[in-house]
Amino acid sequence: MSSDTSVHCIVVTPERTELDAQCESLKLPMYDGELGILPGRAPMVGRIGFGLLKLQSATGEQSWFVEGGFVQVTRDGVYVLTNRLLKPEQIDRKSAEEELQKATEMVANTPQTRSVKERALAQARGKLRISS
Amino acid sequence: MANIRQLDKRRKSVRNIRKITRTMELIATARFKKAMDRAAAATDYTKRITQIVQDLANSGASVSHPLLVAHDTVKAVDILVLTANRGLCGGYNGSLVRVAAQRRSEIQEQADAGQTSVSGKRGISAFRYAGIPIEKTYTEFDDQPSFDAVAKIADELIYRFVSGQVDRVDVAYTRFISSSKQVPVVETLLPFAGLDVSSPATVSSSTETQSTGQENKVRDDYEFLPNASAILQEVVPASFRARLFKCFLDAAVSEQIARMVAMKSATENAGDIIKGLSRTYNRARQSKITQEIMEIIGGVEALG
Repeated sequence: MSSDTSVHCIVVTPERTELDAQCESLKLPMYDGELGILPGRAPMVGRIGFGLLKLQSATGEQSWFVEGGFVQVTRDGVYVLTNRLLKPEQIDRKSAEEELQKATEMVANTPQTRSVKERALAQARGKLRISS
Repeated sequence: MANIRQLDKRRKSVRNIRKITRTMELIATARFKKAMDRAAAATDYTKRITQIVQDLANSGASVSHPLLVAHDTVKAVDILVLTANRGLCGGYNGSLVRVAAQRRSEIQEQADAGQTSVSGKRGISAFRYAGIPIEKTYTEFDDQPSFDAVAKIADELIYRFVSGQVDRVDVAYTRFISSSKQVPVVETLLPFAGLDVSSPATVSSSTETQSTGQENKVRDDYEFLPNASAILQEVVPASFRARLFKCFLDAAVSEQIARMVAMKSATENAGDIIKGLSRTYNRARQSKITQEIMEIIGGVEALG
């Protein structure tokens, strides 16, 4: 951590570094639920699910939708690696519903295809949750 | 003399061409800068991924994933060729198609199946002309390839590889080495070899290098959620996607450079031609004037 009272949060997508901010605390949408990070968190590597990343700073709470990926907590900061970072407003309920529909219709008869389907389902459900 | 008018006409058209090529050069320069920035911005992600993989390896987790395992028998090989949608970029498309076609004929000697996918109109038409069948074509990638589109291709390749439909995936693209050197290469993407865990010193993130002094003493013991192997299951495909994306970015940057260089020399060449034409034009005009004077003098003398 960069200091004792703040967390340095960096969000990188394959295209670029989307966010580089200091905050008091943050909440990560892990694969199995929300995880809060306070200054001085022990080093960690974890999987992220589909949900809202919330940054709590002096000015208030800001949130973004993250689409899977990983988080690495080091002593310098919290690195979030995700495929996409979206503002919650950017998520369209209708298209999320369509995605869910598509994901449900996927054929899953092998372990590989099942994991692809599960991923698609989780993604669509995550989006739907945010948009409603 | 009609020759003079012809010369002037030609000079005018060369001038117009020079204007066009110069503009294209400027456009290519601007696009190159943009593409370059994008490529630079994308390295952060790859760096972090490598870091995570290294931490996983350091923590004692065995690095194994279906994508990393080479298949015993290589029966089907896919090849993906990344060319440009547009021409006028020197030998960029030509040399890449040559390299790719050569690799493809090599593949056909050892493997009897596999898909050939081509991105870019130029490559598509070159392969069609050579009579090489193409299974898939992509034309949506220009100077700024989007990750989403690349990820789709990557996911499909992953699926084909894991499900055993294909035993090796090659990609032919122009690798960007420096702004003065780009080489067309064919690389094997799958089985994936991009996770280099054997040499931790070569890749270390900027944050880690700052604290190298204490790094040796205080090793970070990472907590893995849910566990190291589950994370690895996700990291490897993500790393592969990033790798393929890098190929597209490299190809985009190289294309712009190739076009820049080609257009620069075209502009210079046009300048040389104009110079030559002007010289011949002036000479022709002068000789015409001289001839006319001679005729007038001759006429005057005949009168007198």
